[in-house]
This record gives sequence, C-alpha cells and structure tokens, in this order.
Amino acid sequence: MKVRANLVLAATAVGSGIFVLLGYFIDHEVILTLRLILMRWSVLLAAVALFLGLFNLLTVHWSKVSEQEKGWPYSAVLILAFLVTLILGLWFGPDNQTLLMLFNYIQLPVEASLMALLTISLTVAGFRLVSRRRDPFSLIFVVVVMLVLLGTGPWLVASDSDAYILLGQLRNWVAQVWASGGARGILLGVALGAILTGLRVLLAVDRPYGD
Amino acid sequence: MLGSIDIVGLLVLLLFLGLLLGFAAVGRNWPAVFRPVPGFEELGTAIERAVEAGERVHLSLGTGSVIGSDSAPALAGLAMLSRVAAVTTMSDKPVVVTAGDGAMAMLAQETLRSAYQRAKASERYRPTSGRMLGPTPFSYVASLPILIATEDVSVHILAGSFGAEGALAADFGERQQAFVIAGTDDAQSQALLYATAEYPMIGEEIFAGGAYLNVGPLHRASLRAQDAVRMLIVALILIGTVLHALGVSL
Amino acid sequence: MAEVRCPMCSKPNPEEAEVCGICGARLKPLIIDQPPQEQPPDKSEERRPEQGVEQEEGLDWLGRIRAEAESEAPKEEIEPEETADEAVSPDWLGRLREVDTTEDEGPPDGEVPDWLSAFSEDVGEVGEPEAAEPGWLERIREIKATKAAEGEEEAEPVDDWLARLREEQELIPEDLGADEIIPEELPLPAETLAEEEVEEHVISPIEPMDLSLEPSEIAPSEAMADKEAPPEPRDILPDLTEAAPPVTPSEVELPSEVVGEAEEAAERVDEFETPIEDELPHVPALILDEGEETIGEQPSGIDLDSIELPGWLSELRETAPPEEVPAEDTSLDLAPATLPSWLEAMRPIATFRSAVEIESVDEQVVESAGPLAGLQGVLMAEPVVAMPRAATVGAARLEVTERQYAQAELLHRMVEEEERERPAAAAHRPRVPYLRWAIGFLLVIAVALPTILSFRVGEGFPLPSYMPRDLESLFKLVEGISLERPVLAVFDYTPGYAGELNAVAGPLLEHIMLRGLRVVTVSTRPTGPLLAEGLLSRVGVNGEGYVHLGYLSGGPIAVQLFAAAPRETISRGFLLPGDMESQSGWQSPILEGVSQLSDFGLVVVITAGTDSARTWVEQAYPWRGETPLVMVLSVGTEPMIRPYYEALEPQVDGILTGLPAAVNYEQYLGRSGNAIARWNAFGTGMLTIELILLAGVIYGAALWLLRPRAVETRSERDG
Repeated sequence: MKVRANLVLAATAVGSGIFVLLGYFIDHEVILTLRLILMRWSVLLAAVALFLGLFNLLTVHWSKVSEQEKGWPYSAVLILAFLVTLILGLWFGPDNQTLLMLFNYIQLPVEASLMALLTISLTVAGFRLVSRRRDPFSLIFVVVVMLVLLGTGPWLVASDSDAYILLGQLRNWVAQVWASGGARGILLGVALGAILTGLRVLLAVDRPYGD
Repeated sequence: MLGSIDIVGLLVLLLFLGLLLGFAAVGRNWPAVFRPVPGFEELGTAIERAVEAGERVHLSLGTGSVIGSDSAPALAGLAMLSRVAAVTTMSDKPVVVTAGDGAMAMLAQETLRSAYQRAKASERYRPTSGRMLGPTPFSYVASLPILIATEDVSVHILAGSFGAEGALAADFGERQQAFVIAGTDDAQSQALLYATAEYPMIGEEIFAGGAYLNVGPLHRASLRAQDAVRMLIVALILIGTVLHALGVSL
Repeated sequence: MAEVRCPMCSKPNPEEAEVCGICGARLKPLIIDQPPQEQPPDKSEERRPEQGVEQEEGLDWLGRIRAEAESEAPKEEIEPEETADEAVSPDWLGRLREVDTTEDEGPPDGEVPDWLSAFSEDVGEVGEPEAAEPGWLERIREIKATKAAEGEEEAEPVDDWLARLREEQELIPEDLGADEIIPEELPLPAETLAEEEVEEHVISPIEPMDLSLEPSEIAPSEAMADKEAPPEPRDILPDLTEAAPPVTPSEVELPSEVVGEAEEAAERVDEFETPIEDELPHVPALILDEGEETIGEQPSGIDLDSIELPGWLSELRETAPPEEVPAEDTSLDLAPATLPSWLEAMRPIATFRSAVEIESVDEQVVESAGPLAGLQGVLMAEPVVAMPRAATVGAARLEVTERQYAQAELLHRMVEEEERERPAAAAHRPRVPYLRWAIGFLLVIAVALPTILSFRVGEGFPLPSYMPRDLESLFKLVEGISLERPVLAVFDYTPGYAGELNAVAGPLLEHIMLRGLRVVTVSTRPTGPLLAEGLLSRVGVNGEGYVHLGYLSGGPIAVQLFAAAPRETISRGFLLPGDMESQSGWQSPILEGVSQLSDFGLVVVITAGTDSARTWVEQAYPWRGETPLVMVLSVGTEPMIRPYYEALEPQVDGILTGLPAAVNYEQYLGRSGNAIARWNAFGTGMLTIELILLAGVIYGAALWLLRPRAVETRSERDG
C-alpha cells in the first residue's frame, strides 16, 4: 500500500514535470494549456506552502515556549509579533496605514540594520582573509576589492585627476570584463547543474517529496 | 496539430538525458574520478566529530522558493540532506534543516522522514526538524543566530539559493566557531561567501555535493555529464571566437 | 628473592629448593646418565661446601684403599657383562676404582648415610669437619701391611670373604621369589673376581623392578643422590644372601675391594622395602611413610648387633657423632647435606609412594581404569597424573603484571565514570569580538559623522565630474517616452536594500515624474508595494501620478504570466485611492488603455538580485515589444546584467548602477536629491573600508613574513 502511494507520488511528479518541460519545446495547444494549468496550480500550491511554512514556524516556537527550552523568550516575542501583525492585517487590511507604519518603523529599519551588519561582517572578513587564508587567490581577491572600491567611491583629494579617471576605467574594465566573464562562466555551470538536477527529479532519482 | 517544435532544445535535452544515463551505465566499469574539494572532504570528519560530541548539524536550504530557478540549488541541498540525515539519524542531536520558504521546508521534512525510514528509526523522526525560519531572506537570517546557539550547532551547511544574506548566515556560523561550508547558485553571493565561509563552494560545486557525498550512482553520472557538456560548450565558444576573429559570421 | 613455581601445585618455592615444600614434587629434574662432574652445581652443596668436600674425601679414600689393594694383588680384570643394567650403573663406582692411592684422607666423620647409621650407634654428626683418621682405616692399613709382609695373595682376603659368602649363601632359603627386591646385578669388583665367580654372586633377578628404571622411580634415591656420600661400609652381601639374622657390622670384615660393591648393594637394597622380613633381612626404606620407623631406629626384627661388620665399621659406629636429623627436614631420612646433587635429584616426591612395592601375584591389584585396565602388576601411576584433582588456587591464579594491573584499573575507572553523573558543563563563554566591535565603531563613525556635521554641498568629497556614457543614453531614453503611456516600475528588492536602491532609483523616478509620466508599480515580493509607496511618496508630486498593482505571487512563473496577460494576473491593487477602494487597480485612469506589457511606455526594474533581473529580462522579453527596459541595479548585480545591455541585440535598454551613477544623474538633472546627500557619508565609509582592508593585507603579509622565520629560528636553535 505504501509502495503504491509512493509510486503515485512519483508518477504525478514525473508527469507534471515532463508536460511543463515539453511545453517549452513543443508548441501544441493541449500541451501549452496543460502547462499553463500546472504552472498556475504550482503558484497556488506555493502560496499554500507558505501558509504551511508559517504554521510550522509557529509550531516550532510554540513548543519552545511551552517546554521552556533554551532561548524561549525570543520565541515568545516572535509569536506575539506574529499574532499582532496577523490580527492587524486581518482587521485593517494589508494596505492600511497602521501596517504601513509597522513596516516603515520596524521592519524596514531592522532589515536595513542587518544589511549594515553585513557590511561590517564583510569588512571584518576582508580584514582577516589574507591572514587566515594565505594563498594567492585570497590576495588577489582583496586587491581587486580595493581596486573596485577605489574606482567606485569618491576621493578626498584629486578626484579630478587622471589617476582617478584611470582607476575608474580600470574598475569598469575589471567589473565589466573579468567579473562579467567569470560570472557568465559560473552561470553556465550553474545552469548545467540545474538542468541535471531537474532531470534527476524528472527521472525520480531524487525524490524530495518522499520515497 | 503539432505546432512548431524547438528541435535544438529537444536535442539538447536528449543530449543531457543520454549522457546522464550513459555515464550511469558505464559508471561501474569506468569509475569516476573527481578533483578533491576540500569542503566535502572535511565535511565527513566534521559531521563525525559533531555526532561524537553530541552536537548538531544544521543544513540550510536557502531563501529561494520551490518554483523558479532558485529551486535548483535547494534540490541539490536536499540530496545532500538525505546523506547527512542518514549519518546523523542515531545521533543524540540529529540534523536540523531550515529554509526560507514553506514549500522547501516541507520537502525537507519529507526527505528527513525518508532518511529515518531507511534507517529503521521512524520513531526518532520529528517534524520540527525541518522548519521555516522566516518568509523573507533577512528575517530568515535574523533567526539563525538563535538557532545556532540554542541547538548547539557545530556544523553549518549552507546549500541553497542565497543572496547577500548568505554571507551573514555564514558569518554567524563562523562566530560560533562552527564548521561552515556554503554554496549557492548566485555568483555575487558566492563572492561574499568566499570571504566569510570557511569552505566556500564556488561555481557549480554545490551541484556536485551529491556525487561527492556518494548519494547515488546517478549523482556521479550527472556530474560527469555536466563536465562533458561544459567541455563541449568551451569548445564551441573557442571555435566561435576563432571564427569571429577570422571574420566568419555564423 | 627469585621464586620457582612447582610444576605440580604451582606454589612458589625458593629457587634453591630441590623439592616443593607443599607437595614434595621435584623442582629440579634428575639426570641419571650425566656424569657427576657435568651436572650443574647443586646449590645445596654450596650451602654445605664443607660437607661436599668431606663427601668427596669419603669416596676418594675408599677408592684409594681399593687401589692400594689392587696394586698388591694380581689384577684380574674381568670384563663386566655389558648389560643394560651395567650401562646405568653409576659411574662413581668406576671412579672409585681410579682413586689416587696417595691420598690418605679418610671418610669425613659424621657424614654417614642414615641407612648406614642404622647399623651404627655412633653415627658421626652431619657436617662435622674432618675428624681424625679413624681407627678402621688404620686397621685396614695394618691388614695391608700384614698381607704385604706375608705376601699373601690378594685373593686370600677375597677368598675369605668369598668363602664366607658361599657359606652364607647356602643358608639362603630356596623359596626366595621374584619379589625379592634384590638388584639384578651386583657390581662386584670385577677385577677381583673371576667371571664365573661374579656370575655366582649375581643374585637372582628382581622382578619386576629393574635397575634400568629412572632414578626418580626409585624410592630411596638418596642413596644414589650423592655419589660422594661416604659409602659407609656395610655388609650388604650377607644381608642379601642369607636369611639368617643380620650380622652385626662389626663382625663382618670386608676387604676394601668389596667395600664399594657392598656399599652399592646396600644402597640398592635399601631402595626397596623388604616385605618379607622373616625371610630376608629387612633393609629399612630410605624414605619412610608416616608412622614408619625412622632409619635411625633399629628396624624391628633386625638385630643389628648380629650383623657382622668389619671392625672399622663398628668402630665408626662407636665414634661417629650421634645422628642428627635436620629439624626442618623431618620427612626425609637422610640429611641432604650428605648426598651429592645427582643423588639428591633422585629423591622421590613425597606424593609418591615411599617405596615401590612389589606385591605378590595374588596381592597385585588388577588395574580397573585407563588403557591398562585388566592388567596386573601395573605400576601405580603417579597420583598427579592418574587421579584427577581439582586445580589448586595457585594454579588458577592469574599472573598480573604491573602494567596489566594499571590498565585494568584504568578500564575500571572508565566504566565507573560512565555511571557517574557529571554536572553540566559550564556554558562556553564566548570570546569578545574586539575586532568586530572596533571595525563596526569605525564604520559607524565614518558614516555618521558627515551626517551629523551636515556638510553642505561641495564640502567634503567632491562630486564626480565624469559623466558615464550609459547615463546620457538613459537620460535621453526617459526624455523620449510618450506621456500617454504609463511607466511600469517593478520594485523587486527587499527592505534591506532600500537604503541603496532608494537612493539609486530616486533620481530616475523623480525625472520620470517630473516629466509628468504616470507610474504603475508591481512587485514579486510581498514587501515590494510598501517600498514603492515609501519611495514614490517622497519623489512624487503631491503623492499623485502613480498607482500600485500590488503583489505578484508566483515568482518567475508569475512574471511570465503577467507579461503575457497582465490584467488576468493581478486583479486587485494596493493602497488605492479612496475612491477606488472596492475596485481593481486596473480601473484606475492611469491604466486606461493598457492591456498588455507592450502598452507601457517604459519598464523599469529596480532590483538587487541577479535572478530577479534576469527573470524580468528573459521572461518579459517575448511580450515587451518595443517597450524599452531599464535596469536599476545594485553595484554587485551589474556584472551579470551588463551583457544584456551590451549585446548586439540588447535586451536591456538602459542601466543605472550604484550611488555614483545616481549622483551623476542628479547632477544631470540639476537637482540635489538623496544621492548627493549621501555622497560624503558614502565617501568616508568607502575610505574607511579601504583603509581597513589595507591594514588587513599588511597584517596578513606581516604574519606570513614573520611566522616562517620564527619557525626556522626555532628549528635552528633546536638543531
């Protein structure tokens, strides 16, 4: 019985993937219609999955609070904030000024602070990079970073000098040629990996939906 | 009536399929030899150490969603998860998986359940082992320090789609002196991870995780197929460059 | 002190011990054929060196006497029968024949075997140093002298004693059976007797005992243990050959040449018990069982006084010190000191039967067990071998070395620790991240200081004067958009990037709105519409001229669907004006006449992610038509999107990347906006980061340069 259920799941996943994939190569009305339907269903399922994910989030933190596990006060704050936002959103609607205030004065500053924290973390990481990883690539990495920073940011002095202009052009050359070419190569490799990963799912080799 | 058919696209698709199945067929007689990746080589030791020390392994599937191109690295992360979960099933603190998307968290739960079933330890499975930390990237990352600290995480695996917040996630692991191996599909994020993670996975190394962790023969075959097509693309680019330099227009 | 473990009971014994003090087993093997001089030195002899010396002297004197006698009498060498028995005959007898006659030392006083002392009341004290020449020796010499003077043949004394022997032999009962424990061969002085005479004197063979037996099987091994023991002259022959009451030793005068044989015979006879006391003179056993009479005591039924002994022997008995039995060796009949080592080795084990009994046929027990079941006359097997016995405690005891003991203790401790409950380890105190704090403080100061000090325009960092060519084309592009067609602005970034992208996208949106173009916003992120409202409310004119379509869920799929059929993908709006609350955003006059993507005048995608930008570029391209696409990007995204802009058939028509480009745009626009306001903070922050990175490179280089030298110096110092 269990094996039969797994087979049904696998068949559903494989069939859906094949039809959506074929819809990109074969311009046939039935296939295109089926593809469109499946894609819309996937959007709906993604939204439902978001809801389930939020439910899972609540469950985890609720169990932490109820069992007084380590760090349970943070879980309590999360549950409280979640409930308040949910209630306000359900009560006033998502485009209410109240929620706008919550967003503009809580979420926006918090996430902006996290981005600032990222800046500090990256600076610290850059400072330690050469001392922690003593290889040529780390040195090249830091040198290129400094080059881009010098070519991007303003100079306190001699901002009109030829050196500044030269450095700016050098920075553009590094960013638009070398970095772009390398990024393209990475993109190609990633695309190849993504294709093979998708094919493994289509062949039911990888079954993230369960065996 | 059948409309236009993208023959080239279909041929490319068939090429990939043929290479995958072909390498899988000859894999037994012609075993694959891959270059050493320091992160994967150290990962096994780090997981063993964590299991012995009673510490936890954390695997992050990133902030990407199931639908879209950012699901590919997360699927690769799920393949790694099946292997990691098999190793940590009987540990005092089994692996915990987090994601920034609800659907991805559910897939993680199913992968964990399958791993426990294979290990004949279904009773040890907990649905909360796979969880969503936050719906947005930075809210996901903001929850990581608490998770790492409270769950005694000593191995921090980032295998999924990350933006700039991935660097922050890796940095949180480094601060806890955990073993950090991180990989994503975004080149910009890879640059940030190179600076912050102990063992960054550059390029498409994240998609090689299944082959290096011996998830299955088809994973090794898919990596060999990637290498083969990559060589083909390099050859085509070189040929096209030479032809263009010679003034031959295609 | 080194210990030797008994092979039988595994009890420790002193190294020098010959037998086990617990079970009596031999600790040192007996060696029969080995010549006495080849045997390892007996430590018991070392303890009694004086006694050993005296023992040697005792044998030597006998040999010398015999040699003297031989030199006077014609030597008739009779080849002894080469029998197996002769082969095992002790060599000491032969050596006795070779004794230097020049020595004139006599037997040590007091060192008289116990068996001999039974016939003498005055046995010399054991261990007594050399005493004065006894009278018997003098008498022997007198006899020699007398003989020499008289010129008597040596055969005469031989004839005398031989005649006596013949007489006595006639008195031997005929019913002496095979169980007579009489040596098969009596090593008579072959040089003095004719072969036939020797044969006559050969006593009937003993059944079943055989002289070829191992010495260990012979009970009275003490008699053979010490070859140098003073062979107390004793008239054995008369004891063997006659059933008559024993003759006192004093009455028996034996010539010197037969003393040795008599001695040996006496020793051998003494090895066996004589059950028939009535018929044969009882020779007391050398090793007695408990309760038996000691050798020292006069055996019952034997009248020692009736034994005819030579005069010298009787004198020896008188003058010999009283027998002294070692107190610690009460179980032994002979004082160990008097016996040579090889003879000592032949001492039987206590568990053995003290004497091998040759039982009569009727009395012989039929063996009932083992491979010899059913046979009679089977020698009793050693109890240790035949009879099962439980292993003693000593045998089961493990020999544990110190190292093993330490390891066992360690294992025991480890097991105990597993059971012990350990208190929870103290929480690991995280180390203070001083470097992180310092760098964070520097960056905050660097960014906050210009803002606090309120630099005016032109102060601080100079504005860029270099205008990139990309900016000029973008400016012209915006200037060329028709006012009748709205502009679609996609806000695909998270609130974390709002600080940068709001500053970068601000001048462009301001330019658009200043021209009077209407803006329609959409986002594939839930927070996108909120960000759009925040930015447009600042740059807009009186908060008008824009409408939000809201959140487009579904990711890339939703983008493709929106590009194909916008009105079907999003039905509602976000933050619609008051009069449009219950309506759809598509009902706004701004979107009048817009049904597909190509109806928009411009598509502006504001994003910080490469995937989002590529998605819009790739998914919307088939449905965009002639509508230009402009990308407003974070600096890190530019390398990935610029190829779309610089391609031969570009899919991106305009690109605006980073704060410097935004400053340039504001300069081009002639307005001072958020970009210019952040220029000084941007500059100080960048400068600070550059200096920190430079310091990190210098620090890393210094570590790299210094560390190998420190290692080399240390290695040189050690070397």
